[in-house]
Amino acid sequence: MIRLAVLVLTTAASWEPAFVNVARDAGLAHVFPNGGPTTSQPTKKYIIETTGSGAGLFDYDNDGLLDAILVSGDGGTTRLYRNEGRSRFKDVTAATGIVAPGWGKGVCAGDYDNDGFTDFVITRWGSSILFRNAGGKRFHNVTQAARLETGPNRYNTGCAFLDYDRDGDLDLFVANYLKFDFTTTPLPGANPYCFYRNAPVNCGPRGLPFDRNILFRNNGDGTFTDVSDASGVSRPAQYYSLGVLTGDFNRDGWTDIYVACDQTPSLLYINRGDGTFSEEALLRGAALDEHGKALSGMGAAAADTDGDGWPDIFRTNFSDERETLYRNRGDGDFDDATAAAGMAHNTRFVGWGCGFFDFDNDGWKDLLLVNGHVFPEVDRLPGDIRFRERPILYRNRGGKFEDISERAGPAIQERRVARGAAFGDIDNDGNVEVLVNHQNEAPGLFRLRERPAANWVLLRLRGVRSNRSAIGAQVRITAAGLTQSDEVRSGGSYLSQSDLRLHFGIGGARKVDRIEVRWPSGTKQMLDNQPVNQVMEIVEQQVK
Amino acid sequence: MLVISLALALAQSDSFTAGLDAFRRGDYVTAEKMLNTSSDPRAATYANLARAATGGCDSVRDGLAQQLATQADAETRRAAGLGAAQCYVAAERFESALPILARLRRDYPSDADVLYLTAKLHMKAWNDALFGLYRNAPSSYRVNQISGEVFEMHGRFAEAAGEYRKAIEKNPAAVNLHFRLGRALLLESNSPASLDAAAKEFQAELALNPNDAVAEYQIGQILTARQKPAEAAERYKRAAAIDPKFVEPLIALGRIRTAEKNHAEAITLLERAVASAPKSEAARYNLMLAYRNAGRREEARKQQEELERLQKPPEGEFTEFLKRLGEKTPGKTPEKTTKQ
Repeated sequence: MIRLAVLVLTTAASWEPAFVNVARDAGLAHVFPNGGPTTSQPTKKYIIETTGSGAGLFDYDNDGLLDAILVSGDGGTTRLYRNEGRSRFKDVTAATGIVAPGWGKGVCAGDYDNDGFTDFVITRWGSSILFRNAGGKRFHNVTQAARLETGPNRYNTGCAFLDYDRDGDLDLFVANYLKFDFTTTPLPGANPYCFYRNAPVNCGPRGLPFDRNILFRNNGDGTFTDVSDASGVSRPAQYYSLGVLTGDFNRDGWTDIYVACDQTPSLLYINRGDGTFSEEALLRGAALDEHGKALSGMGAAAADTDGDGWPDIFRTNFSDERETLYRNRGDGDFDDATAAAGMAHNTRFVGWGCGFFDFDNDGWKDLLLVNGHVFPEVDRLPGDIRFRERPILYRNRGGKFEDISERAGPAIQERRVARGAAFGDIDNDGNVEVLVNHQNEAPGLFRLRERPAANWVLLRLRGVRSNRSAIGAQVRITAAGLTQSDEVRSGGSYLSQSDLRLHFGIGGARKVDRIEVRWPSGTKQMLDNQPVNQVMEIVEQQVK
Repeated sequence: MLVISLALALAQSDSFTAGLDAFRRGDYVTAEKMLNTSSDPRAATYANLARAATGGCDSVRDGLAQQLATQADAETRRAAGLGAAQCYVAAERFESALPILARLRRDYPSDADVLYLTAKLHMKAWNDALFGLYRNAPSSYRVNQISGEVFEMHGRFAEAAGEYRKAIEKNPAAVNLHFRLGRALLLESNSPASLDAAAKEFQAELALNPNDAVAEYQIGQILTARQKPAEAAERYKRAAAIDPKFVEPLIALGRIRTAEKNHAEAITLLERAVASAPKSEAARYNLMLAYRNAGRREEARKQQEELERLQKPPEGEFTEFLKRLGEKTPGKTPEKTTKQ
């Protein structure tokens, strides 16, 4: 069976990708500021200028096309763009009532009120904002009414909607980086935590006070309750949390939460199924590198990279560190497989947004990560580390990754200071595009110049007993003998929201033999012999 | 009689207090005069310090060194030691300063003044020796070697590599140069080309010194990055055989055996590593995972506890930071605050 799959997928494997940046042509030309360097400020004085911001792709008006959101730092505007078709976007920020000033950080989406329209959260320094989608036409800031307000110094970063208690509505997890205050944070060079390779730079995160992560339970009436303490989410005390990745990593039917942490061990909250979480990253092997050292984790992504049916975790890290691929051993325990998978050599990059996506539609999830340093000062230092950097593209060859960045087209050669990256098929043609938030520059929208000659299927899931966005639904598809699996996720990457639909490349297969869905409600659903090259909606089956 | 003795004692005590006040004010001439009239056992030390402060180091340094051993009062003893060490450093009598500072570091391990003076001594000795090397043997390969090491310290790895290359050209048979070059190449970049170049240098080092366990280990690391675990394992085995106390090859080999699902051998290797280096986080971490993978969950948890103990941030890390915040007011430039 496996041999047959290899034969069928040969066509896709011989094709070479060429990614181009089409952001400007698509109407995505605004600049999204995030502190320095600017003409008036040559560097980044504070850490808050280094960690933003995210990007999002979701369909807010239910027209079947992914719309785009780009989060801005202070002095700019977080903008929503409507997908007008033919790969053109129109700024609808004002028209839809979105106002999110200040230091915006992340974005995550989900239909928290189960009304059929996708809502979203912008995390910020200060209180995060929940925007309720009113019929796909307007957004209302319902943060206060929803009881999601937090203190003014909270440095909210990654977020994700998830139904952790499986009651059919979406709860909200928000990571917190540290306690930040302009009036007390020291300036570059002020203490030993404010130097990089002997050069004075912005201070932190070491030396700055820790904060705790937050879990809000959805009360089902438009309000939330902070259950951080009761659930155990706030217990881990000395972590600098950034990217959030949800998933049922031990396949027990309950959504777990992985948090990429900066300069401290990363966190893996295992959902006990009783309303509480236990933090188990260390023993499960997903906290540290292979030398037992904490790295500077930024973003995170999950996929079954080796076809064993279990979700692996990828994390982006700092320069002088390697990226990390944790392979799931089949029970929610992980091994550091970075070197074994072919990823150990890219140590000059500071990685942020990342995502698995099958750009060649061969049935194996490839990987893109976007990069950019936090210290403009590195350009004045010797060595190969630079402030602006290009993305890295890995092609998955049956579980081993090949770095093809230097031959993957002009978009992958562009040097930027990238942060968030969202993945989604903006024109429903079976190829996944990537929206990238660049600091102080126009965003990137990466698309393939030529499509691969391979088939695909894009699944849009709609929950009925489960939450309407189907977040947490697990899908396995089998085509031409190859079985793939994935999960619907809110948040992920670096402070970003990717397409809530699931994309599968299926190579030369002419039909999908089987699609199996395990809904968050516990319902299992199967569809056989489905046609290829289509966006397919699957509605949760009502079981009597 | 009792009244007269008491009055005399008070007067002497007063002259010590007044002398110390003058010393603290920086009026060393007055301080020395007053302290010399006091019978307080601490007075002689402070009088010597006052003399040292007015250019009399030569006449008092041996006395201060002696007082480090004889003074009963801890603070005075510390002051005597610091004064003696400073006088010896000023006279470039480093060999006399070293044992004094060693004793001070033993008795006052966290004392900033003691640590500062120790650093200053080593820096001065380093500068003097370096100057001697550049002046007396400017064409020696050692000049290039030490230049390479200085570049490395400043993170200028490409320039360090250049100096090591020059040193190798001058003395191809010198050991450790190829190793340092290989390491500088890896510090500069982990690109495939750098890995290849570094591997060649480590191999060249082994040709000069077949018993270099670290060079063997480094080649093993490069082979691991190239996904050649079987070849890497042979290197790690050799490195561990050359230097049984070198735990990194045991850990790396243990990881390879773990990946091969050879849990029993992985555990044996990693237990050896932990026994050799109980404070090694890498050894503890990998042993924890090996136990976990072998289903020995309780032993894994014990290793986890040990690891968490090792990784616990030092007490007061954040408190120290808050103190520093108090020292340096945000909004002021670092230069200004430093001068204050």
